[in-house]
Amino acid sequence: MEAGSENVLSIKNLTMSYGSKNVLNGINLEVKKGEIIGYIGPNGAGKSSTVKIMLGLIDDYGGDVVIFGHNISTGDPSYKRKIGYVPENAEAYDNLTAMEYLIFTGELYGMERDVAEMKAERLLEQFELQDARHSRLSSFSKGMKQKVLITASLLHDPDLLFWDEPLSGLDANSMMVIQEILAQLAAQGKTIFYSSHIMDLVEKISNRIVLLVKGEVVADATFEELKEMSEEGSLSGIFNQLTGFTEHRSKARDFVSIVQGGQTDA
Amino acid sequence: MREFQSLKVLAVFKGIFTRLGVDYAMMEKILQIKLTMDERRVPTIFNDTGKKKEGNQFLKSLWVYGLYGLILIPFLLIGENYIFQMSLAFGMILFILMTSMISDFSAVLLDVRDKNIIQTKPVTRRTIAAAKIVHIMIYIAFVTVAFTAIPFVVGLVNHGFFFAVIFLVELILTVLLVVVLTSLLYLVILRFFDGDKLKDIINYVQILLSVGVVVGYQVLIRAFDFVDLDLAYSFSWWHLLIPPIWYGAPFEVFLNGGSANYLIVFTVLAVLVPIIAILSYAKLMPSFERNLEKLLSDTKKRKKKRNWVDEMGAKLLCRSKEERIFFRFAASMMKKEREFKLKVFPALGMSLFFPFLFVFTYPREGGLEEIAGGNMFLFIYFCNFMIPSLVYMLRFSEGYKGGWLFRAAPIEKTSRAYSGALKAFFMKLYSPVFLVVAIFFLWIFTARILPDLAAVFLGGLLQTLITHKVVTEDEFPFSASFEFAQDAGTGKMLALTLMTFGFVAAHFIATATTWGIYVYLVVLLVALWIGWKRVFPENRRREKEDSGFALNQTD
Repeated sequence: MEAGSENVLSIKNLTMSYGSKNVLNGINLEVKKGEIIGYIGPNGAGKSSTVKIMLGLIDDYGGDVVIFGHNISTGDPSYKRKIGYVPENAEAYDNLTAMEYLIFTGELYGMERDVAEMKAERLLEQFELQDARHSRLSSFSKGMKQKVLITASLLHDPDLLFWDEPLSGLDANSMMVIQEILAQLAAQGKTIFYSSHIMDLVEKISNRIVLLVKGEVVADATFEELKEMSEEGSLSGIFNQLTGFTEHRSKARDFVSIVQGGQTDA
Repeated sequence: MREFQSLKVLAVFKGIFTRLGVDYAMMEKILQIKLTMDERRVPTIFNDTGKKKEGNQFLKSLWVYGLYGLILIPFLLIGENYIFQMSLAFGMILFILMTSMISDFSAVLLDVRDKNIIQTKPVTRRTIAAAKIVHIMIYIAFVTVAFTAIPFVVGLVNHGFFFAVIFLVELILTVLLVVVLTSLLYLVILRFFDGDKLKDIINYVQILLSVGVVVGYQVLIRAFDFVDLDLAYSFSWWHLLIPPIWYGAPFEVFLNGGSANYLIVFTVLAVLVPIIAILSYAKLMPSFERNLEKLLSDTKKRKKKRNWVDEMGAKLLCRSKEERIFFRFAASMMKKEREFKLKVFPALGMSLFFPFLFVFTYPREGGLEEIAGGNMFLFIYFCNFMIPSLVYMLRFSEGYKGGWLFRAAPIEKTSRAYSGALKAFFMKLYSPVFLVVAIFFLWIFTARILPDLAAVFLGGLLQTLITHKVVTEDEFPFSASFEFAQDAGTGKMLALTLMTFGFVAAHFIATATTWGIYVYLVVLLVALWIGWKRVFPENRRREKEDSGFALNQTD
């Protein structure tokens, strides 16, 4: 893990289908240590499926996925030890307190109980959640819960992070903290796989952007490179262009007129 | 978090798990978390403020099983005709365990949340699956202990030590059989279907299973010749398909020295089937977890369906727009929500089945004509028997969190929410069952029972209303989590269910004189009128039409 050019993750010709529908059509991706990858694409492009495959949640796929030099199809879950994951929709066991949840996750990753506990307390303190740490997650606001889940994904000091829409519900200040944390983690040689629909953030955080459309990688470059290829100045503009979506203005106009027209009926 | 006694007991079997390839330490941690969460099923509103409701609600409702268990005692006392007595006893045990397994623990087995939270960590699938099944077995073991503890002592005293040993071993085998076979069944279904279709199929299988277990039990009783009082057992090949008989046989073999071939075969089956089941489950469980993923995917488009029956009901039964809205809402919830159907449809199936069962199996000599002259149509009250538990279920929904909508929307008269939902319940769930039974009974008992049927129907309405008044705590239907539905079996519900007997008694008294039934009908109507007025005070003006409608329906 010392060499800066080492491949952390390598995906070769990844395919997957649900019944007759192809979700992924041959994805190729090489990820090096220390990269922050913004993994973007419209809804249903196959982003979540890719992440799920890499985490070993789905195993009817074609092609090769190699993480830390291990082909994950062997069924041995030990490669997951060095992976941190923030699921989308903030899924967690809500009936547990923040500390219980964190300790449990830490233990699942093979940490000692008291080490996990101590570390979790200190991390929560940084997020100013120390007073809420023995309250149940079900009483947390969305942002607080998200902070706990982010903490849970980092507790065991992973080398590879999969964050799925990790900043939803966070206020602007917390977002800046997280952004900075990501940058510093990457500087330490951690690899981050980041997927989000908030283009401004992806633009700011990522040093490489991978755009997925209909199960295929249509762009894989830095933001600067993307800007040169396209006439749009922002990532969301580039996103629109590459996904072939141009009629947002007319769609919006139709929508608003339907909203107003509906009132006369009722 | 605290230590759990059940986990300490489990540690005894550590060796077995390790040999099956399970990471025991990891499994223990997962179980500890799961058990901790089970203790905390309290409304989020009370969170952190009052900890009074703390504690495992399920364990607190176990005493009901203890009560049910008393049914077993007669079978342990009446003699030493073990193949008969113990088959029946195990029939009941299997019935209770199977029902509890399907209705309370299917959700645990099919939980997909584990996938994202645990499977993304370095834990093997085998360990996750084992944790799941052990989690369920801990509870099923509690149910078994609650249900059989007293009968076990009775058996020990009455038949001696050796009997108790066989009983205990068979109980363990039964628990294994129930849990593992159910899991294997889901495994097969998961293989062949996916997405929403899969969820529907699982739902129907669960409903069918629950009804099937009851019917199976009735078949079991018929396997013995009831006409002869010495209860002779004669073997038929299809008895091999009835598990309770497997478990009756060993007592016969070991205690009465029975050595007939079929008894030996039963005994072998009793031991072998659970063991084969658990071994094949251990082999197949990774694929179970894999296929669970399919529950999350659905790609099919569906067409809009319009339901004319619901539309008619909304127009005829409801007088205000708001009530109509809730009627339609409740009607589609009843049709679409799987969890609701799972809790409700088995009860409906039994309401449909029991009246016939009792009418046709009642000891008699004169055939159908003798039945036709009697009072046995009163068994139709079985339809009303289910009302309390069904009305209670109207409070719950999987999507209870969506209930904020009711508070956010400008609803003028909130009492219309429940009046609409109750009407929908009565039309969509109660009436169809009642009508089927009523039509068949009219055919058997002739038109003379028309006034009686009207009385039963009105009694059902009244019982619905009373149950609603007693059990409903929230302002709106479908706005509480099913997590709190578990105490459905406790005291209040029992009393409300037994209320049906009150109606039967009143009806019986009314039939003493020729005009009595009409007096009773009037009394019911008046009670309904007053009751509806009091429970839904803002709907005063609508009251008249409601009871009027009920009359038209039945007469």
